[in-house]
Amino acid sequence: MKSTQYSEKTLDHFRNPRNVGVLEGENVASGRVGNPTCGDLMEVFIKVEDEKIVDAKFRTFGCGSAIATSSMTTEMAIGMTLEDALELTRDDVATELDGLPPIKMHCSNLAADALHEAIKAYRARDSPDEVAPKTADYEDPTCVIIGQDDYLDKGVFLDVNDLEDFTDQRVLVLHTGDESVESALELTSQTDRVVLLTPEKEIVTNDTLKTELERSSVKVITESRLLEIRGEFEVEKVLVHNLDEDEQYELFVDAVVIID
Amino acid sequence: MGDVKEVYLDYQSSKPVDPRVIDGMLPYFHERFGNASALHHVGDVATEALDESRRAIADYINADHDEIVFTSGATEANNLALIGYAMKSKRKGNHIIISEVEHISIRNIAKYLERQGFEISRVPVDKYGRVNLRKLERRIRDDTILISVQFANNEIGTIQPVAEIGTLAEERGIAFHSDAVAAEGLVSFDVKRDKIHLMSLSSNDLYGPRGLGVLYMKKRYRVNPILIGGGQERGLRSGTEDIASIIGMKLAIDIMKKEMSTEVKRFEGYRKKLIDTVLAEIPDSYLNGHPTERLASNAHFRFDGVEGEALLLSFKDKGISVSTGSACTSKTLEPSHTLIATGLIHEEAHGSLQLTPGRFNEDEDIDRVLEVLPDVLARIRKMSPIYNPKTR
Repeated sequence: MKSTQYSEKTLDHFRNPRNVGVLEGENVASGRVGNPTCGDLMEVFIKVEDEKIVDAKFRTFGCGSAIATSSMTTEMAIGMTLEDALELTRDDVATELDGLPPIKMHCSNLAADALHEAIKAYRARDSPDEVAPKTADYEDPTCVIIGQDDYLDKGVFLDVNDLEDFTDQRVLVLHTGDESVESALELTSQTDRVVLLTPEKEIVTNDTLKTELERSSVKVITESRLLEIRGEFEVEKVLVHNLDEDEQYELFVDAVVIID
Repeated sequence: MGDVKEVYLDYQSSKPVDPRVIDGMLPYFHERFGNASALHHVGDVATEALDESRRAIADYINADHDEIVFTSGATEANNLALIGYAMKSKRKGNHIIISEVEHISIRNIAKYLERQGFEISRVPVDKYGRVNLRKLERRIRDDTILISVQFANNEIGTIQPVAEIGTLAEERGIAFHSDAVAAEGLVSFDVKRDKIHLMSLSSNDLYGPRGLGVLYMKKRYRVNPILIGGGQERGLRSGTEDIASIIGMKLAIDIMKKEMSTEVKRFEGYRKKLIDTVLAEIPDSYLNGHPTERLASNAHFRFDGVEGEALLLSFKDKGISVSTGSACTSKTLEPSHTLIATGLIHEEAHGSLQLTPGRFNEDEDIDRVLEVLPDVLARIRKMSPIYNPKTR
């Protein structure tokens, strides 16, 4: 079976997705699962009255089955009690869509999980003590970047004083504070490829820099840590750890800027 | 889909056989069916056809006729080149260099050779997907026996500096193999000019039949056979020759020799229109690949906040066949290694769209895809939680 060979029902939900959008206001909660790095990110919103889901909406970045399963999940969830909705599984959603290609069962069928997250968030809202907030250990002082010293003058820079060094280069800037954000912005005059890597969920900085960053061509990668610098003789790629997904991947770059 | 004409813009993945080629092939299935190894008249007819094709193909790439070996396709040609040459030369060394953007067949052959004890170096490319010569040169060692770099990339269409790589290799007595499939029918080949010692070609990429390929093998750059049998193709590739297909490839080349320059001009027009329109009219869109050193028929984009399979399916609903580098359409669920090698992160590689027009496209096909694209993108982006339009 081809990975894109979908049932008519799946295609219908892809072509005419139900319940696209967001919900706001009272008795509303949302759940978010997936990661754009993996190709799928889903948000499910629910509105609850008397322990019953009276409305549900979704937003999804992903392939055909990611969109179809999100649509189907919200459709199935509306009218369910929270207890029943917690029992709703990925398999139930797939069955209701007349099946999914086997390769898609796990990667893109996450909407039921997003629904469960939304229900948990709704319940936690009433008793915030029950769920401990998930915090990643971002401020790990022992974090060492393998290769940082070996590649000094071979693609690792501790400042961006000589902007010409970066002309047309793919530059990775580590977010270490406002100066690094300024440097990243400055580099966009030399190259169209500047990546700003931060372990945080977003770049925390002042309003001016934030606006400038949003308007710039700088590509921000959040919740990620630089583990290792790699290359033969000089910087050629880096190993990045995605903290949210706990996954590692290689990113090809020509230069790494680390401002202390 | 009603009366709407189907639009095919995926010539890089497969091409139809030109009807003129099919007409010329037909007699070889019945009247001229002979085995080229047979000594009777029927066999002689086949031998003549085989020789005639071999000369035409050699002429097309500026090689000699005895430097052409017919195979079952470009995959086999790649296998014969890399495995055959590695085995033949293993006493000289066991180090092979390939690029990070090779076609999957070369990538997997290299992995196979690694398991057989050969060492493989992979040379990175720049942000346009072009092999960096300095980095290539640095990877050359005393025991390097072979460098394999594609003529042009099959996804983003970037043309590699083959002549420079050929010179580098020849100066050091290293064999240079190039998988030229993606460039067929779009650039002029000259193995002498480019100092290519081994080159893989596919018949289908010239609008000839599938199931036939060629390995060009320069004298003194012989390989060990990987298929053993009756000793056809001077013992380098056994198996009774498929004369009908071999004639088909020759006919495809005859047409190409006459029509390529006009055809390429037409494709350049399509490419310009696609790239100029998309970049000007679609917000947060980017061109993948090289701005100038690219195949005439290749337009490759990425769009913020969009996943490629959803894009492909939306086009499919409109009767338009396109391709994407998204992981969700691949067998392994890995995003395109080519896009990753240019420095993109996975999320960006997911949102790509590959448009490769070809011989049977008309101007209106290009207009059609450009007409449909904005709506398709807007619909998907509306659903996307990660799309934030840049306010520039």
